[in-house]
Amino acid sequence: MRAFGNHIFVTSLASAVLFFLYAPILVIVIFSFNDSHYTGLPFNGFTLRWYVELFHDRQILTSIWNSVYVGLGVVAISVLFGLPAAIALDRYTFPGKTAFRRIVLLPIVLPGIITGVALLSFYLTVHFRLSLHTIMLGQGTALMCITITEVFARLQQMGKSQTEAAVNLGANEWELFRHVTLPGIASSLFGAMLIAFSISFDEIAVTFLLTGRENTLPMTLWSLLRREVTPEVNAVATLVVLVSVILIVIGMYASRGKNSASYGNH
Amino acid sequence: MAQAALSLPSQTGGARPAVRSARRIERRRMLLWLVPPIAWFTVFMLVPYALLFYYSLGQAEDMVFTPGLSLRNFARVFTDEPYLGVILKSARIGLMTSVLSAIMAYPLAFCLAFHVRSASLKFVLYLLVIVPWWASYLVKAYAWKTILGTGGILNATLQGLGLTHEPVRLFLYNEFSVVLTLTYIFTPFAVLSIYAQLERVPTSLIEAARNLGASAWEIVFRIVLPISVPGVIAGGIITFSLAFGDFVAPVLVGGPDSLMISNIVINLLGVAFDWPMAAAIGLVIIALGLALISLSGWLEEKTQVRL
Amino acid sequence: MTTGIELRDLRKLYDGHGATAWAVDGVNMRIGQGQFVTLLGPSGCGKTTTLRMIAGFETPTSGQILRDGIDITDQPVSDRDMRMVFQDFALFPNMTVAENVAFGLRTRRMKGRFSDAEIRRKVAEHLDLVHLGSHAGKRPHQLSGGQKQRVSLARALVTDPDVVLFDEPLGSLDAHLRKVMQIELIRLHRELNKTFIYVTHDQDEAMAMSDAIAVMNVGKVMQFGTPREIYDRPASRYVASFIGHAHIVDAVVAESRSDGLMVRLGNGEVVSLAQPAKVASGQSVGLMLRAEDLSLARPGEGELHGQVADSLYRGEYIEYVVELTGNAGLVHVHEPTDLPPFAHGAPVALKVNAQKAHVVEA
Repeated sequence: MRAFGNHIFVTSLASAVLFFLYAPILVIVIFSFNDSHYTGLPFNGFTLRWYVELFHDRQILTSIWNSVYVGLGVVAISVLFGLPAAIALDRYTFPGKTAFRRIVLLPIVLPGIITGVALLSFYLTVHFRLSLHTIMLGQGTALMCITITEVFARLQQMGKSQTEAAVNLGANEWELFRHVTLPGIASSLFGAMLIAFSISFDEIAVTFLLTGRENTLPMTLWSLLRREVTPEVNAVATLVVLVSVILIVIGMYASRGKNSASYGNH
Repeated sequence: MAQAALSLPSQTGGARPAVRSARRIERRRMLLWLVPPIAWFTVFMLVPYALLFYYSLGQAEDMVFTPGLSLRNFARVFTDEPYLGVILKSARIGLMTSVLSAIMAYPLAFCLAFHVRSASLKFVLYLLVIVPWWASYLVKAYAWKTILGTGGILNATLQGLGLTHEPVRLFLYNEFSVVLTLTYIFTPFAVLSIYAQLERVPTSLIEAARNLGASAWEIVFRIVLPISVPGVIAGGIITFSLAFGDFVAPVLVGGPDSLMISNIVINLLGVAFDWPMAAAIGLVIIALGLALISLSGWLEEKTQVRL
Repeated sequence: MTTGIELRDLRKLYDGHGATAWAVDGVNMRIGQGQFVTLLGPSGCGKTTTLRMIAGFETPTSGQILRDGIDITDQPVSDRDMRMVFQDFALFPNMTVAENVAFGLRTRRMKGRFSDAEIRRKVAEHLDLVHLGSHAGKRPHQLSGGQKQRVSLARALVTDPDVVLFDEPLGSLDAHLRKVMQIELIRLHRELNKTFIYVTHDQDEAMAMSDAIAVMNVGKVMQFGTPREIYDRPASRYVASFIGHAHIVDAVVAESRSDGLMVRLGNGEVVSLAQPAKVASGQSVGLMLRAEDLSLARPGEGELHGQVADSLYRGEYIEYVVELTGNAGLVHVHEPTDLPPFAHGAPVALKVNAQKAHVVEA
């Protein structure tokens, strides 16, 4: 019997906190359907006007596509480089392992702006022109820790015995990876990919300084938010929330573990 | 039976050239996995940080960078206005945020860990906490602008109820709204990290305490809190760092004097073109971050309750 | 007024994943003050659920729990003053050994009852009682399994409860330590005169320590009696096979007299028993033959005949598996190791101890 304390008292406090977490988001969602140019009470009636307008807004449509492009690149980078890192951390001990782990995790604790400043100074020194690709490289570096920690946790859970059995049966490195390691980590890798994409889709701190002429969706949203609060912004916001929530829920179901989703995403 | 011959496998001496060296193969395999990520982090993290250091030692005059070997910029972080003050203010906002979000989070995490029995309901509630954590950062900050503003929901409600006659301006564009927004943003994270700690508390400890006659409050203060606090602090340090480095909330819901250190860095780069100064601040923050990581490691080591 | 604990038609419905089943299905039991009673059975038999209902951790679906004649079925856990010793020890990791033991004395409900000096004295006294006087300042993780269990025991005893509940307390200890702790528990029970209610799946443990054993299966008490009653006179085939690994051979009652019994096996051989039983001639029964009630002899020198199917050297004795002639069944026999061994396949005769052989339902 795990429960203790007054059940009604505890659940009503918890419900109040849940309300606190959802009320502001619901406000945005509700006002995205409000038939008024002005975000605020009273509610003038239901409309899909702002969504229609949003789908005619070239600037927003382009930035959505840009964000998808960046997100896919970030996923590719974090799989290509994060997966080997996780495998190496799981299987081998090497000099500087602790330092390597620290460095990988550093972007979680550092303000994104600082990561941005460092990368910007690098780009300027080697004369990279700022573009979607510079954003991709920056986010890829900052978000790689997600793939590494997710996959590493799963590898640790799997233990060594399967790998040892495969090697004992004569598997070479590729066969080991293809038939044992990859099937074992597939779901957590998939979950990590979705999470990385979703964070990238929402990322602004690292992106902020690395943006060239083309904007990602959060950057476009940022400039809109600074200028004015229009109902169209509410519609964009609702869609952004919807997309990231869908991706995360799929990712959670895929990896259905407790150790996901506790990273800093900003 | 007595004559059972027990023999050990005889040791065959001498080198056999046909056998490949397992150690060498293992090493080659390790490098196969290790070299790509190390190369990546060297190019995109270590080199940029090194460059940051290089820039911080130079000077910018009339927007032109001159290399140098001076620690003047680091000194300026601690002497010139507004840098140190803003760093301290950011730290204060970060601290308030992490404490307040832990306080907000504890009841929900507690309910999830101790009062939800069904595993499927637990998973659904867990998802309900995760969803606002991953929902768009910008949107979450902006939502409070629409709620707290003079034409916002809160003022409309207050006026509608007749509690006030004109919009209250106190809600928005000050440090209160920044802390409130950041607390809102980081509460889900705090719930997740506290919940993970509370799940660690074995059911039998609670049963033992009840069996020994303890009341609910006694269980909380003598068993659950002492066991969960180290992990809660570790989670709080991450909240602190994230809130400390935020630049969105100050711009969207903060007032003219609530700029935080990240805003200052952005301004140094975008407006003043003072590269070396931005780099120096960046390095100071990195040093603070590393110190914080070590501090949290040390704290965990020191206060961790071994189950 | 009856003193002690009484369970009246106690039931607990367990529902997991949509399916429901009776975890405890009509348990009636009377446990006198000062008795050492063991609930014995395989996992899932309802013994732990019964204990947890007595402690108050589980609410019975129906039935009553009485203590000294008073219904305590709905009394909160913390009011019951029955201390529990847990299988995983459940020591508070954030407290020292002494603080753990003092916990029950320092709760708010105890406030004012003991002075600090008294608490210190009681803690020291009880740590000495379990031979841990020198470990007072240690943390639980610095102790061995056996030491942890002693702390848990001291913590349960320090408030001087009438009833102490044990939920497989020796389950996570190694075999040697288990034996040591068994002797310790018997000593404590003798010295303290408290009711001990003990849950285990280990029949040796139950036999060695208890005044009475309740053998449980699928939520029901199959037999409740002294260890000797349960061992020598099992009430059912289930109890006979669960306790002491008796082997049961199908038989028919040939003759039932007031001073004994004759049963005939499938192969026509006849065994006489010295104990009478309420069975009629011609009735089918199970003849319970324990290894220690049998001895091997040369063919013609015993009541039963068979062939050695296997022999296992056990150190203390040799265990023979004997197949009775005419496929009448398999029995095990323990023979001293210093006698000349019987070879595999050798024809043997079996002598049956008429005083100990026993019949159960078919």
